[in-house]
Amino acid sequence: MTAITLNSINKSFGPVHVLKDISLEFNKGEFVVLVGPSGCGKSTLLRMIAGLEPVSSGDLIFGETRVNDLEPRERDIAMVFQSYALYPHMNVERNLGFSLELRKRDAAEKQKRTSHAAGILGLDKLLDRFPKALSGGQRQRVAMGRAIVRDPQIFLFDEPLSNLDAALRIEMRIEIAKLHQRLGTTMVYVTHDQVEAMTLADRIVVMNAGNVEQVGTPLDLYSNPANLFVAGFLGSPKMNFVSHDDPALSLPKALTHPKAKTYGIRPEHIQVTAPDDNAHLIGTIDVVERLGSDTIFYINHGAKQPFVVRVPGIDRTALGEKIGCIFQPNDLHRFNADGQSISEK
Amino acid sequence: MTMALPTSPGKGRGRPLKKLHWLVEPYLYLSPAIILIALVMLVPLVVGISYAFQSISLLNPFETGWVGFANFEKLWADRLFWKALTNTFWWTLGSLFFQFFLGLGLALLLNRPFAGRGLVQALVFLPWAVPAFLSGLNWAWLFNPIIGPIPHWLAAIGIMDEPQNILANPKMALWGPIVANIWFGIPFFAITLLAALQSIPRDLYEAASIDGASVWQSFTKITVPFLAPTIAITVMLRTIWIANFADLIYIMTGGGPANSTHIISSYIFTTAFRRLDFAYASTLAIALLVLLLAYAMLILQMRKHLVKGI
Repeated sequence: MTAITLNSINKSFGPVHVLKDISLEFNKGEFVVLVGPSGCGKSTLLRMIAGLEPVSSGDLIFGETRVNDLEPRERDIAMVFQSYALYPHMNVERNLGFSLELRKRDAAEKQKRTSHAAGILGLDKLLDRFPKALSGGQRQRVAMGRAIVRDPQIFLFDEPLSNLDAALRIEMRIEIAKLHQRLGTTMVYVTHDQVEAMTLADRIVVMNAGNVEQVGTPLDLYSNPANLFVAGFLGSPKMNFVSHDDPALSLPKALTHPKAKTYGIRPEHIQVTAPDDNAHLIGTIDVVERLGSDTIFYINHGAKQPFVVRVPGIDRTALGEKIGCIFQPNDLHRFNADGQSISEK
Repeated sequence: MTMALPTSPGKGRGRPLKKLHWLVEPYLYLSPAIILIALVMLVPLVVGISYAFQSISLLNPFETGWVGFANFEKLWADRLFWKALTNTFWWTLGSLFFQFFLGLGLALLLNRPFAGRGLVQALVFLPWAVPAFLSGLNWAWLFNPIIGPIPHWLAAIGIMDEPQNILANPKMALWGPIVANIWFGIPFFAITLLAALQSIPRDLYEAASIDGASVWQSFTKITVPFLAPTIAITVMLRTIWIANFADLIYIMTGGGPANSTHIISSYIFTTAFRRLDFAYASTLAIALLVLLLAYAMLILQMRKHLVKGI
């Protein structure tokens, strides 16, 4: 069952066309992540779903209802803001229960739902505090708690973790994943961090310059990127792209494709060998990063961008050494002149 | 191992002279500021208050000297003082009420984007820049049926039987300066409240609208709490300023007709510089000072209560 349907949605700010003909369907209970570089329109799309930005054209449908012209408060949604947007003049308890206060619910119900949400997020001891006396992670929790108290049809998250430090970000990421499992509510999550997208999403929507580049499960996008943008955006370190006429490249006939202009291979899908005729690419090691769990080689093969290889474990191959690379044939991606993936092998 | 210093700091503190030195030293450093403040603030204040217990009238130059509480007894029995006190109350309340609510409305209007906002903002703040003397004269003319339009308009819409000058009517005259003062003071509230409005983060309104707030609820639950500290301090300042602000009254009515529009501060001015009775003027000033101090303390207490959390 669909929770949200976007039908040819467009958005313009004056002469600037920021979202171009977006059509998407989000299923009920699904965790959808909108991901893309900054300025791609993902936050604008989320704000349109929330009702904070008017839709220029197209239909926005929740379930069966067209909500284009509904006020945010009539849409039965909750949103967690990047800045948390906690009310500074109210303590945590009142922040959590504010939506019920606005609806003039009685004190007993307010108390029950507030303490339920506080219990889920471990905020019980902080109910009397004001936001200025909370740490970043606690504020984030209050912002999420406020959404939980609402018990909405749809949860919206606008880059909720980007103001937190790295360790806290991982902790809150897990917390959000748990929350989704527990509540089973439809969630739409905006981020520019592909790790958050890969770890949280049931489905990822990759956006770029106001267009949807590809929609799919995280592993689907990882294994079968539709184009150069998606291939380069997801995965860390990034996928290597080698031009079909690069002199360092010598692919066997079986792996090539007549229309392929660019070949893509992820750093983790490469084997290091001797620089002989069997190697698909030969170069010298420019930089080595030894992370313990992996070793990352930056190989100079004559092109501008270094060719990156990730080898599991500790590899003692020395800097400046000439090595060969063998690509795993099933993980080689071929892109035509328009940057679109060529699907037939 | 530790070696003791031959003399340790603070060792001399036990001796009486050193102890005195130690006590006096901080005040020595503060003394330039203290002396300056005493000279420019306390001395005039004390001298001014002392006038209230003397007889200093330039019209009776030979009857000077200390008179105890005679001036205060005179004040208590002075019908004009009580009239001026009532007038001060209505003058301050009437001016403040309309200045505040019209200024708040203007600030709310100017807080939303529209074409030409910069120009409108500049124009709105213009009355504040006009000298009180000029605006007083202007309004006095506007209320004058011979050259001003206002009496004719009031007559046309039926509020007045015939065009007449309200400044000449003892029952109505105070409203002339009050109207001028409202016009003059709206920009102050508009400027300060607009600045306070612009400091409220926009995403709070977005969060509230998603939480289910109507426009009115956003106003009462977000805007008003954020504005409250600013409102408290501006209302306090304006109250004191308005209560002391005799210029418009002095220019437009001169306290007349028949002393019906005197507020305490214009009464003080007239007593001191028209009747040249400095002692009684000082007595009146003390009465006003006590009233305003009590009011300021009340508002400051309220503000302390309001700023919690912000």
